[in-house]
Amino acid sequence: MKKWILIVVVCCVILVSCREKTYGPREIVGETDVCKICNMSIVHHEYAGQIALKNGDYEIFDDLGCLMEYIHANGEDEIGAAFIKDTIKNEWIDVFKATFVYNMEYWTPMNYGVLAFETKDSAIEWMATKGDGQVLVYKDLLDFNWGIHQ
Amino acid sequence: MVKKIGSVLLFLLFMSQTVYADFDIQKSIDKAKPGATITIPAGQYEGNFVLTKKITLRGEQGTELVALGDEPVLRIDNTATVTIENMTLSGNKQAIVASGVDGLELRYLNIKDIHTGVHIQRSKNVQIQHIEVAGNKEHYSNKGNGLAIFKSEDVVVEDANIDHVQDGIYVEEVKNLLVQNNKISNSRYGTHFMYSSNAQAFHNTYQNNVTGLMIMMTSDISIKSNHLENHNGLNGYGMLLYDVQQAVVELNTIMNNRTGVALQKSTGIQIECNDFRMNQTALEGMKVDGTSMASNNIFTGNIMTARSDQQGFLLANNYYDDYSGIDLENDGIGDVPYVAVSSFGQWMVRQPVYQYFVASPSVVLLTSLDQQINKTENTVLVDDAPKLRMKQITKINEMNFKQLLIGLLIVIASMCLWKRGMME
Repeated sequence: MKKWILIVVVCCVILVSCREKTYGPREIVGETDVCKICNMSIVHHEYAGQIALKNGDYEIFDDLGCLMEYIHANGEDEIGAAFIKDTIKNEWIDVFKATFVYNMEYWTPMNYGVLAFETKDSAIEWMATKGDGQVLVYKDLLDFNWGIHQ
Repeated sequence: MVKKIGSVLLFLLFMSQTVYADFDIQKSIDKAKPGATITIPAGQYEGNFVLTKKITLRGEQGTELVALGDEPVLRIDNTATVTIENMTLSGNKQAIVASGVDGLELRYLNIKDIHTGVHIQRSKNVQIQHIEVAGNKEHYSNKGNGLAIFKSEDVVVEDANIDHVQDGIYVEEVKNLLVQNNKISNSRYGTHFMYSSNAQAFHNTYQNNVTGLMIMMTSDISIKSNHLENHNGLNGYGMLLYDVQQAVVELNTIMNNRTGVALQKSTGIQIECNDFRMNQTALEGMKVDGTSMASNNIFTGNIMTARSDQQGFLLANNYYDDYSGIDLENDGIGDVPYVAVSSFGQWMVRQPVYQYFVASPSVVLLTSLDQQINKTENTVLVDDAPKLRMKQITKINEMNFKQLLIGLLIVIASMCLWKRGMME
């Protein structure tokens, strides 16, 4: 009997340790959080981004462009999840699955002009009222020319 | 009698409340010929006024304009030569919004109880002088900027006094800019330059902000004779230059900040003749190019003089109060190099929370070891010609004859009184 209990416990431990780790966004703390790349305080929460690293640390960004600069410099290997605020709902969404719209007239804290949306439909809906832009997905952001465009 | 006095007091009490003047400002603006001057009599006026022609709006002592709803008090659109002066402005959102104006002068304005003071975009030849902006004491993320200027050129901001806002002066995509003699305190950033060029910041005072001067993606900037003090929060900097090309930082007094001056991703930065006093870290550099240099500065009372990543930056001819070398040649230059390299400093660049251990015994020991070991190595953050004497500023004592005469008279009078007292 003891043997069976031991086997069950060991199996449970193995199953728990083998399950896929999930990563969630954390709250932004206005007093202490600054952008990992440009050092700006996060005052416009609606444009903020964050990366949950596999080691449990979080890196915070004030603008999608800074988040992408971090990924360029450090690669994706250590990233557990990456989040950005949805422009319409002001809620965290997955950077890798989001739809993005670029328009040089859109203001963002670093003036990169790229906004994030949960779905393509909501991006199109946004453009109908705020002006047309270039629709992008995560892959496009890797080659995107980040910086001010005149 | 008491009843009468009470009635008078009650009358005065009610009279001191908001009084809306009869003068119709918008009607006067609409009627005025281009180039006219409108003098607004003293009193409080509610409304949202729009200017689209050459005009001067001048208040008398006690003229106050209050916005209705969320619209700005004054909106100035697509015109030239507009002057607004001598009045108080208040409201919910913005005091003044100017777009596409060539020749805008704002003078002697007192802006209060407002989210954003002045918002200017796509304008040129802008002069802002003697403006007071006072925000509320909420967290800076809930407030707007004192002055915000976008996509404009030839802008001068001087003698402003800005307190408790998000960024005192926020500048984005502005060419040819002079910011001088301003005093900005208790805000996120005192002055925040972004994507601008040919900018000058002279004789400003920044105190108790998160960061005094935040300069980002800007080129050709001169920062001279400013006073940056008490930026000592967790993320506080006297001055932070991020992605800046060609800057001269000279003759500034940088004291009691968490980090005095920080350079990140910047090239061609000259830091000369500044006075770094009592900062936690005086100078910090990350990804700074090899041409950036700190020379002829005075470092006194700082916990850490300089720290950087492995790339470092150049130090030359500075005075360091913790330099322990000798000068056998008596030329005022130390015979052995000053080593600012600190392993701990480099760790602190990577992990800012290490700052809490900065003066611990183990860190002090580690820093001393660093200084001994690195003297023989050609590493970053080494000053080969450290100064042993700091430049003394000698002030000639001028005699004030008026004060001397008054003093003498008081002494003589006192002596006379004392003598008379003794005689009696």
